[in-house]
Amino acid sequence: MGTATGIIKALNSGIKHIATKRFTFRYPEQKLKFVGDGYQFDPTSGVGIAGYKGRHILFHDKCTGCNLCSIACEEIAEAIAMPKVPEQWKHNKKAIMPQIDYGKCVFCGLCVDACPFYALYMTNDYELSSFTKEGLIYTPAQLQVKPQVQQDVEIQIDEKGANHG
Amino acid sequence: MSAKLPPGLQLEKVDDRIMTLNVGPQHPGSGHMRIIIKVDGDYIVHTDPDPGYVHRGEEKMAEYRNYITNIPHLERPVIHDSCNILYPYCLGIEELLGLEVPERAKYLRVIAAELNRCVYIQYWLAIYGIFLGHSTMFMWPTGDRELLIDLLEKMTGARVTHAYFVPGGIRNDVPPNFEDVCLRQVNYFEKRIKEYADVFYDNPILISRTRDTGVLSREDAIKLGTTGSVLRASGVDFDIRKKEPYDVYDELDFQSPTLKEGDSYARSKIPWLDMFESCRIIRDALKKMPKSGSVRVKLKPKPKGGDTEIYRRVESGRGALGMYIVSKGKPQPYRLKISVPSFRNLIAMPHLLTGEKLGNMPAVYWSLNYWPVEADR
Repeated sequence: MGTATGIIKALNSGIKHIATKRFTFRYPEQKLKFVGDGYQFDPTSGVGIAGYKGRHILFHDKCTGCNLCSIACEEIAEAIAMPKVPEQWKHNKKAIMPQIDYGKCVFCGLCVDACPFYALYMTNDYELSSFTKEGLIYTPAQLQVKPQVQQDVEIQIDEKGANHG
Repeated sequence: MSAKLPPGLQLEKVDDRIMTLNVGPQHPGSGHMRIIIKVDGDYIVHTDPDPGYVHRGEEKMAEYRNYITNIPHLERPVIHDSCNILYPYCLGIEELLGLEVPERAKYLRVIAAELNRCVYIQYWLAIYGIFLGHSTMFMWPTGDRELLIDLLEKMTGARVTHAYFVPGGIRNDVPPNFEDVCLRQVNYFEKRIKEYADVFYDNPILISRTRDTGVLSREDAIKLGTTGSVLRASGVDFDIRKKEPYDVYDELDFQSPTLKEGDSYARSKIPWLDMFESCRIIRDALKKMPKSGSVRVKLKPKPKGGDTEIYRRVESGRGALGMYIVSKGKPQPYRLKISVPSFRNLIAMPHLLTGEKLGNMPAVYWSLNYWPVEADR
């Protein structure tokens, strides 16, 4: 193959893509859709349930303050502390619950694997940026809130190519 | 210059012809490493690669953590290939503890590892493109990589650092209808990477820049101890997936591509050919995989017995990646040694660059499939 033909072929394969729909999407207005409500773990079977590993969600009515999530994180990121909570629960005599520092968390989800009481899961929320370091520390009360996320964009593939709809 | 030097210091004698250049350590392309190059005019006369700027002490850290909490930090050296770097660790510990991995988990591990290999190669290819001033080849692989990252995200829940493999299987089963989505996206991905031939691999400008630069002969490749794509580009058919099959690689239908030339062009083409084989493996694995079943067995807290040592290796995106684990019956490994392909391929760099033109340096350097962070561990 001659040099000229090669260059023309290379240019041509690029020109073909001018007419196709763009692959990217406009992020803050549109968001990528994830599977399920986030990563969860079933301690009876010992296997997780597929989902995005984002911000945690803590169920106060299930957490016993057993410290297992904090122990799991101790050797990984040291992100989980166990402060006192003002609430009174029969199953949580010590009244301590996890508080997560997202400045340190690596989102591996091994704390979710460690929880034997179905109290700690992960959610689809990944927009955690904050102007202060303290803003990254989520208290048990903040972790209780279910995130409001609207994610609807998915990769679509047709004969012309792939796009995000 | 008659200023008096402090005792013990002396000025380096400067040759009239030779000039020393520091390439790096702030990103000669990607990653933090320095290449000290001596040039005579336009020709390189001496090369001294200087890695070690991103040493993290992964091996020492592993001695203080138990087998399961080692997982998130062990994938840090190559976050783009995180499944493959955890693979030998998991295989080794399964052998140490005598765990039998469920059949479905074996197939899913192979699928995740092959998807991750493609993700790594796409990233590598994008940087190779921009190294040679080909900005289209930076954009295309970066965009198409998104297809596979999306798949891995559905599978593992994370885009880059998955922490998906554990000793005894995988952490979660795939979501329902994953097989269809995976097949559709992998088929489209294969169609896309075929288009790279016209724009990059058959492009006369690329060929003129990489053909016959940095030629590594078959004998030298073996003698220097290179591995992976560098070794296979020099005509040695050595692929761990074929030679020492792990998990279910012996049941799957694929070939490992080999080229004879041993120049930068051949070294840049092998990973691209590898991606086609990865697509074949994924399709075959999806077909042969059991449709349901357990994916994880319970991990025992610590290995039985006294001193044991284990060495397992896998074929990563760059070459043979091995882990040597010594256990003294404690919940933590007594010693963990990571044998990384990047460091072994770096040894070939002074051999290849000496005698080349300075302009060919990026083409040769990045064709070695070298990842600085992994070499430093």
